[in-house]
Amino acid sequence: MTISTEPLKSVSDIERTTLMTLLPGRIAALFGGRRWRSLAPLAVLIALCVLITIANPNFIELRNLVRVANSAAVPLTLAMGLTFIILMGSIDLSVEGTLSVAAMVVVLLAANDSNGNDYGWLAVLAAIAAGTAMGLVSGLVQTVLRIPSFMATLGMWFIGLGLSVYMLGGSAIRLNDASIRELALTRLLGLPLAVWVAAGAFLVAAIIQYYTRLGRHILAIGGDEDVAKLSGVNVARVRVTAFALAGFFFGIAGVLAAAQLGQSHAVIGDGRLFAAVTAVVVGGTALTGGEGGVVNTLIGVLIVTVLANGMILLGISPYIQQTVQGLMIIAAVALSLDRMRLKIVK
Amino acid sequence: MKDRTISTRSGMVTRRTLMMGATAGVAALAMPKVLRAQDNPTLVTSIRSLSNPYHAVWKTGAEAYAKAVGLEHVTLVSEGNSEKGIADIKAMLAKTGGNMVLNSDPNDTPDARPIVEACAKAGAYVVTQWNKPPDLHPKDFNPNYVSHIEFDGISSGKTIAEILFKTIGGKGGIVALGGLISTTAAIERKKGLDEALAANPDIKLLDFQVANWKSTEAFDLMGNLLTRFGDDIKGIWAANDDMGSGALEALRAENLAGKVPIVGVDGIKTAVDAVRTGEFACTVTSDPFWQGGMGLAIGYNAKIGKFDPTKEPPEHREFYGKAVLISRDNVEEYYKTNVEAQPTVDWNDLWGRVTGAIRT
Repeated sequence: MTISTEPLKSVSDIERTTLMTLLPGRIAALFGGRRWRSLAPLAVLIALCVLITIANPNFIELRNLVRVANSAAVPLTLAMGLTFIILMGSIDLSVEGTLSVAAMVVVLLAANDSNGNDYGWLAVLAAIAAGTAMGLVSGLVQTVLRIPSFMATLGMWFIGLGLSVYMLGGSAIRLNDASIRELALTRLLGLPLAVWVAAGAFLVAAIIQYYTRLGRHILAIGGDEDVAKLSGVNVARVRVTAFALAGFFFGIAGVLAAAQLGQSHAVIGDGRLFAAVTAVVVGGTALTGGEGGVVNTLIGVLIVTVLANGMILLGISPYIQQTVQGLMIIAAVALSLDRMRLKIVK
Repeated sequence: MKDRTISTRSGMVTRRTLMMGATAGVAALAMPKVLRAQDNPTLVTSIRSLSNPYHAVWKTGAEAYAKAVGLEHVTLVSEGNSEKGIADIKAMLAKTGGNMVLNSDPNDTPDARPIVEACAKAGAYVVTQWNKPPDLHPKDFNPNYVSHIEFDGISSGKTIAEILFKTIGGKGGIVALGGLISTTAAIERKKGLDEALAANPDIKLLDFQVANWKSTEAFDLMGNLLTRFGDDIKGIWAANDDMGSGALEALRAENLAGKVPIVGVDGIKTAVDAVRTGEFACTVTSDPFWQGGMGLAIGYNAKIGKFDPTKEPPEHREFYGKAVLISRDNVEEYYKTNVEAQPTVDWNDLWGRVTGAIRT
């Protein structure tokens, strides 16, 4: 292994010097290289906020900031789970499937307009448990059957989706439990409860990443799995735990989504995978693993949400909004990582 | 749960049962046509799925009609698979020897042609709804291809827009939520909105945004639109009820539910309930119960010679059906007759809901 990487490294060094003359590298060098880069997502977020405020001062109104926080709640909770998976260098595509299973479980077990169940907050616990179980299965499929996370979670995505279509009979079922709906409708200190739940999810994720062995092991696996294994990390166990943890966060997000919409249907998760991956990557967590973290993801989620809010405020045509989003993703990712250090770009 | 165990088990087909089934099928096919031709015709409904409420109601309508005329009724479900849909219909034609009436909502536009051709060849009578290629015409398959029914998106979009304008007093700003940009229904319904706007200069369209038919997207979008326009938004036009219900929840989070009226299309239960509580101003539905029953009724009456398809005017062969409006005026009655009980339709009034020939 060492023999083959040595010549590769020197080649990339040559490339690096030639590419350094290109613009992003030069800007980065100007501001002090790596240190500046780690702050790039934050700079992008601030720049966005300033630009949108100049164009439409309504943006900075308290009412609007509350709205931004409210629409960031579900993506943030989802992205918290996904961050751990991407930190390991894996991917979890089951976001939408797991979310729709959790939303389906909570709606069918709490008071609804389709069956006679009324288990109240037990339904919420069951939904989070269902999400965690989905994640656990993803992790086990991956480690026991040795199927790459991409395929394992792709499978779980469709299993989850199929399950919710079947259980919901293809229709939208209303959530009538007032106490669960309060998650979206009741406000504490001006913010909907859903925002506080998402903030709580962020805190839990931050504690796990920075203060627990699991967090450090996840980072170590993402950095270099072989080295982690040789250092005595039980890779299989960490993987399974990380996927279950991701499922736990997806489960919470499913409950929040159902509470916000007041209903559940099988496609409640549509488009959430793309939004979550975008947020994680835009925040500066590398898809290759080992770099970034939940704080980056928080900023990434805010960038994506502020951008969506800003485009409406600026009256950008719906026909080109997606194009702007795509451009933003490329720009943010180009700025946030030292691309020149990458040996290989696949 | 019980149903699921059974279906998993029946999925395990042993070779012997497969062989037996195949033999029985071949034997049935080999039976001479004449033997069964004297029987009453079989009514056949071909739809996409039973897991969406729309087609579930369609099937109820079909069964209600079959019961009314005392005939056997079979429902074929394509599960979104065009090949399965066509193959099932062909199998049914073979089984009945062509002595059947088919009411089909083809899974995809091109499917209508093989379905119609197979029916014409076997001598069965067929009515199609929603999907057919523009160059396929009932008059080219006389008398077997009786009619094709669609619903006019322009008129739906226009009707709900007019009711919305009336609800907000004829002036003020509205926002509109459109469907997936490329779909015909989205384009037509928006055109209807544009026509209504042109006729009401005091109404201002503040913004038109696309929420891709989804309540989740409409929910986020509506929050942002509220920031941009605030109290200037007097009403919300949604191209379908699902987006309308997403917008409603966004309003509810801001304590605005019921204060800003919403209109939508489809007549889903959430929307009907919202019309009752006053949060929606109206919704329109193509009335799947009528579609399921009347499609069979038109085909069956042609088959037994009640009318001669070849002598019917063009607007009876390819027509737009009349959508049913559910507004604050009639919602209680609609709820009583359509949601709480099974609706009653006069199955002899074949052409009562014809609103005109389909635009080409």
